[in-house]
Amino acid sequence: MDILNILVVGLLLGGIYGLVSIGLNLIFGVIRIVNFAHGELVMLGMYGAYLAYATLGLDPYIAVLLVVPALFVVGIIVHRLVLQPLHAESNMQIFATFGLLIILQNAVLAITRGEGFSVPSKVAGFTFGVGDIRVTVSRLVIFLALTATAIALHLFLKRTLIGKSIRAVTQDRQAARLMGINVERTFTITFGIGSALAGLAGVLLSPIYTLSPGIGGNFILAAFAVVVLGGLGSVAGAYFGGMIVGLVEAFAGFYIDPELKQAIWFLIFLVVLIVRPTGLFGQVGAEEVGFREQN
Amino acid sequence: MNSDDLATADPSPNRPAGGILPWRRVALLYAVGLLVTLVPLLLLSRNFFWLNIITYTYLFAGLAVAWNIIAGFGGQFSLGHGVFFAIGAYTTARLFLDWEISPWLGLLPGAIACAVVGPLIFWPTFRLKGSFFAIATLAFNEVALVLANYLESVTGGPRGLQVPFRAAFKNMIFTDPRAYTVLMFVFMAIAVGISIVLMRSRLGYYLLAVREDEDAARAAGISVIQVKLRATALSAALTAIGGGLFAMYIRTIDPLTLFSLPDIGVKFALLSLIGGMGTITGPVLGAFLIIPLESYLRAVFGGSGPGVHLILLGFVMLLAALFMRRGVAGAIDSLRQHWRHRRSA
Amino acid sequence: MSEPFLQVRGAVKRFGGLTAVNDVSFDVRRGEIVSIIGPNGAGKTTLFNLLTGQLKPTAGDVSLNGQVINALPPERRARLGLGRTFQIAKPLLTLTALENAMVGSFLHHSRLHDAEAKAHQMLIEVGLDRRAHVRAAQLTLSERRRLEVARALALEPSLMLLDEVMAGLNQSEVQDSIDLFRRLNGAGLTFLIIEHNLKVVRAFSERVIVIDRGAKIAEGTAEQILTNPEVVTAYLGRRRG
Repeated sequence: MDILNILVVGLLLGGIYGLVSIGLNLIFGVIRIVNFAHGELVMLGMYGAYLAYATLGLDPYIAVLLVVPALFVVGIIVHRLVLQPLHAESNMQIFATFGLLIILQNAVLAITRGEGFSVPSKVAGFTFGVGDIRVTVSRLVIFLALTATAIALHLFLKRTLIGKSIRAVTQDRQAARLMGINVERTFTITFGIGSALAGLAGVLLSPIYTLSPGIGGNFILAAFAVVVLGGLGSVAGAYFGGMIVGLVEAFAGFYIDPELKQAIWFLIFLVVLIVRPTGLFGQVGAEEVGFREQN
Repeated sequence: MNSDDLATADPSPNRPAGGILPWRRVALLYAVGLLVTLVPLLLLSRNFFWLNIITYTYLFAGLAVAWNIIAGFGGQFSLGHGVFFAIGAYTTARLFLDWEISPWLGLLPGAIACAVVGPLIFWPTFRLKGSFFAIATLAFNEVALVLANYLESVTGGPRGLQVPFRAAFKNMIFTDPRAYTVLMFVFMAIAVGISIVLMRSRLGYYLLAVREDEDAARAAGISVIQVKLRATALSAALTAIGGGLFAMYIRTIDPLTLFSLPDIGVKFALLSLIGGMGTITGPVLGAFLIIPLESYLRAVFGGSGPGVHLILLGFVMLLAALFMRRGVAGAIDSLRQHWRHRRSA
Repeated sequence: MSEPFLQVRGAVKRFGGLTAVNDVSFDVRRGEIVSIIGPNGAGKTTLFNLLTGQLKPTAGDVSLNGQVINALPPERRARLGLGRTFQIAKPLLTLTALENAMVGSFLHHSRLHDAEAKAHQMLIEVGLDRRAHVRAAQLTLSERRRLEVARALALEPSLMLLDEVMAGLNQSEVQDSIDLFRRLNGAGLTFLIIEHNLKVVRAFSERVIVIDRGAKIAEGTAEQILTNPEVVTAYLGRRRG
């Protein structure tokens, strides 16, 4: 395998990590909540795609239209019922989202009785080659979807009224409140959008992986690594952070040992946390809750 | 007690209003408390199903107490204690398997290793606060999991280590399961005793000061990082001992068990939070509530489908987070406060 | 006059392009009560932070008892005998008043009950002994201020740095505090205070240093300073009322 090939593999993998992280990062950056159940929202997205296929015979790329809004609603409900009452209690939030993780994972396990599902797609399986580099359609779609999502989210935050209020709330809750922005509702909407993005990731990943209730755990720590690497609340951070983690994993897997690839990006993650806690694209001020003020 | 005392008494949890108790009173309370925790063992010692649960309850009570030292008193919400637990388990088992070193002695190298490794790996992360510290320590757990799977020569890789059943006191392997229960009870008693002594020492007070306000602590002459590192060393060493005991009790240890978040790393936090973080009785209370509840749910609902008992446990966590933010110890305290106010009214 | 106890020589603190403290020098001798006054934003708190170790000077020296302490962190300075309060009191909220004071007294008393005795004594000193077993979270603003003084006193300091410790107190509380500080000063404790309340400054301090726009513009007895027209314009002229 030559370098170019590893590069492509890494970038496509980065697309997966980026897409899984982008919603987490939005939530993390804006509401400052560590949502341990984010991987389970991705998992719900995958099972949503399966459900759409099993009952309606839909291709996952069409099921997106159903699953993403559904996850938006799930996110709104979760935020209203669980997280909003716990604002300003970061330990309890960790705890509550972990409880949510256990509930969602095991609820799916109990319903499916542990049977592994796969979601067929007419297009996803195609591969095409450029030279001796082979690319699967499903992975390319994810990469493109991430790119499109990142641009769309960026424009949404910059141009729309809701987007602007989200940014205002991120920068200064107090001031935003004084300006008449409904901070709580903005948080709820943000959490909904973050969950919808997790759903999008889930649907698009469903043709690639065999579905299992615990699959979210494969993504969540990678997603945290991406978020910390890229920088809190930064759309570009999630995008490039995902790419970096994907590339590191691909190269380390090839040159060092595939079994150690995770350990290697975790180490990078730790080093970034310690050396540059704001991340590569972190906005100044976004880390204020998490870190000591600088002297 | 005069009415003025009642008027100024405040509802915060778990510290009796009144002066610093004399040592003799503390020793008495400690002894009475331990006797109370012995009751389930005395009542159910013939029932092997419950005996196993009680054994785990004592073990996890001790582990939660150990976690609570740095997390509850020191305010450093670690999700990486699975690493220390695993180091203790592997060290004790490995020394016994390779060199026939009695686990009674074999517990110590793991504890010492963690007293060194713990501060070393936490030191860089102490710059981080709140959720960030939690995530970083969680990452330690995951790195360690990957390494444990990889370093087959040390850990036995994914298949893990098996300790053969050779019953002997010096092997810490017993034919009578009650011996394990007593062993775990002693572990819990030691952990609680250490916590009590700690919280009546300079380091204990400094730990609370650091948790409450680092700038105020510095102004009082406290070296914040030193206090955190010492408490980490103590907490990690105790956790390692718990890991070693766990290894000798189940006699099969593998990475997925040792580094499991819901069963180990996050479990310590769960028990302390449910019971009441930053108190001495809280983690013990949490273990006495959750471990039997969990085992009972598993036994009752385990048959009705995979994961059902865990769904219930998840709801318990969620409800506890929403409605008992100061844990059981805090809730009891609020009730008592309420009752005292009604009586004085 | 005795040897200067606290010595500040040419202290400068810059934040990027902003010079918050510009070449300030002064001495505090043992047993003195010295006040630093100046309009809002004059750099008093920055100067104060250079003394406590919260900030390190860009240039110049701060020395205590002849030892240069520029690079020492706050905790080391506390161990050298420097007690301080915070402008916004920082009580340890979940600890009782007694335990708060014990966090201070443990510095010189490693045994629990010795530390308790010392802490209790300090609470009596500031008049909080009746609230000893109340958690700091329940204390009123003025009680929190006094608690902070008690915690600092429990360190058995030789120099107390007080940052607007009177702000928000009513007349009688101010008078109580002044009495307390006078009494402690009589027992040999040196004071350096930052104070807005000119009445307090007049009633309490032996020497006043005036800071404006980061620089020292005057120094003298309270009477000299408060009648100095230059000071009055600098200080009152820009306070807009």
